[in-house]
Amino acid sequence: MTPTHIVSGRLTRHLAGALTLAALSVTSVSVFADHEEVNPNVQEVEAWDTVKVSRIPENIYLRTQNDPDDLIWDRLPVYSTNLLPAPPVHQSVSLRFEDGATRGKHLYFQVARSDERFYLRMFWKDATENRGTGVDSFRDGVAVQFALNDADTSYMMGTGEDNPVNIWYWRADTEEVENLAAGGFGSTTSLPQQNITGASAYFPDSVPSASEWQVVMSRPFDSEGEHNVDFDRDTVPMGFAVWQGNDNERDGNKRVTHTWILLDTSLDSDTAK
Amino acid sequence: MTVKRQLSMVMDLNKCIGCQTCTAACKLMWTNRNGREFMYWNNVESQPGKGYPRDYENMGGGFDADGALRLGRQPSQEDYGIPWEYNYEDALMTGTDPWLRPNVKPTWGANWDEDEGEGDYPNSYYFYLPRLCNHCSNPACLAACTRNAIYKRQEDGIVLVDQERCRGYRYCVNACPYKKIYFNEEISKSEKCIFCYPRIEKGLPTACAQQCVGRIRWIGYRDDEEGPIHQLVEKYKVALPLHAEWGTEPNVFYVPPTSPPKLGENGEQLDEPRIPQSYLESLFGPRVGEVLDTLEQERQAKAEGRDSELMDILIGYKHAEMFKLS
Repeated sequence: MTPTHIVSGRLTRHLAGALTLAALSVTSVSVFADHEEVNPNVQEVEAWDTVKVSRIPENIYLRTQNDPDDLIWDRLPVYSTNLLPAPPVHQSVSLRFEDGATRGKHLYFQVARSDERFYLRMFWKDATENRGTGVDSFRDGVAVQFALNDADTSYMMGTGEDNPVNIWYWRADTEEVENLAAGGFGSTTSLPQQNITGASAYFPDSVPSASEWQVVMSRPFDSEGEHNVDFDRDTVPMGFAVWQGNDNERDGNKRVTHTWILLDTSLDSDTAK
Repeated sequence: MTVKRQLSMVMDLNKCIGCQTCTAACKLMWTNRNGREFMYWNNVESQPGKGYPRDYENMGGGFDADGALRLGRQPSQEDYGIPWEYNYEDALMTGTDPWLRPNVKPTWGANWDEDEGEGDYPNSYYFYLPRLCNHCSNPACLAACTRNAIYKRQEDGIVLVDQERCRGYRYCVNACPYKKIYFNEEISKSEKCIFCYPRIEKGLPTACAQQCVGRIRWIGYRDDEEGPIHQLVEKYKVALPLHAEWGTEPNVFYVPPTSPPKLGENGEQLDEPRIPQSYLESLFGPRVGEVLDTLEQERQAKAEGRDSELMDILIGYKHAEMFKLS
């Protein structure tokens, strides 16, 4: 890490902190139900905000490609966004949908790229580590979806085959990240290219509610094959989903980004070195 | 759900001896490996009893009166029974363990309550109820799947899980009120009775029916008027679905069991059957009494040397007549 990078990183985070505090003062408390610590270094992101990818300089060597606990992540801006229950679209889901459910879930994320690779780190508080999947138990999971076209694609897993989404899905019983595509709910399909790698770690805390999942996913920056998101454009619509195994969440029983966060993957000249 | 043809099975509970040969045939064929060890696509329960998985009748699922899915309870591994193995090698061969014992403490399993039944001597009673997927005309599992991973074949109405589409959400397990769809933990997908379709496609009956020593099972198409299903279900109306009130329109039917009269305090025969009719009605619906009367009359006719087509069918002289697969 170069000195210039560290300085610019700190500056970014101070600015981000100011924004977060401003956002907090106008937002109701209930939204931050699981968001006890207000970290000035975390920038709160809402739908339609643009998030800029951070540069991992060429001279930084990642000892392990997807280490969720790598020091590099301490140097990069952290964003946070509130996930809300996904609207039920099938009887099976609505049967399990609590009427008027407003329980949000805060997901923290960082986006970074090198010349060759795109990285996404996500972390969230989870008092229970649900790794197993049994006849009556469900695993934790996290996913990110990217609209392959414009942001008028439905955030509910795309709009038909003309406006699909590319989904990267991690579940707690494996270190694999599944590369999927969907064009509307119920159509999720595994892609022939399984080139997303990932790793996870669960950090238990003496205060259970402070326990945390950390997951890193990465993929070569250049896309390869149909339905694989192309990052080489102005902004990429991006959304997240978290499944709490402890709440029997699976499929449409999940917390999601409502509409899109816009991802800017370009490298500005001032952060390029 | 309309299909071109519907395969169906009828089982005569008066003939079932609870030998579990069907269960063993099915298990050896399909479920003794690869994460399916705990599953019984076919099992035989003692009724009254808790069934398999334990207390499945009270787990919900199926449809309500308006045709909407009813939420069910997800059975636990314990409800199915946790399969155990014995340390034969250590206890009997090498002698390194003085005790022959199971590797998990058995607390429940399929047939844990076998032959218990209900009532007090001399009026205690039970009967055997073999169960498999009903390949319903209105399958709750299919309705509950958010991914259209479950389908009903047009040519024979067999309900199958597309293993490519299934993502292991288990809504189907929850929705099937008969709990005849199972979650395979090893592959994280759901699996169920496939009505031995690879055999059916060769013109052979299911393994459970072929191996049945009591010859209690008939297989055929609902629309085959010469076939055994039409005769038993439509013509003589002696075969009834299990728990029709759950709304799934099962395609497996049962000839309800007759029973000897109850005995009074002094050993005299009372004017009511040993198996309470109300209990049978709770399983097979309000037509039970009518069916039992028909069976009684036809049986009497045969006993008196008169002809009874129904009894001839139920005796099941030839496999070729019991299985009409074309």
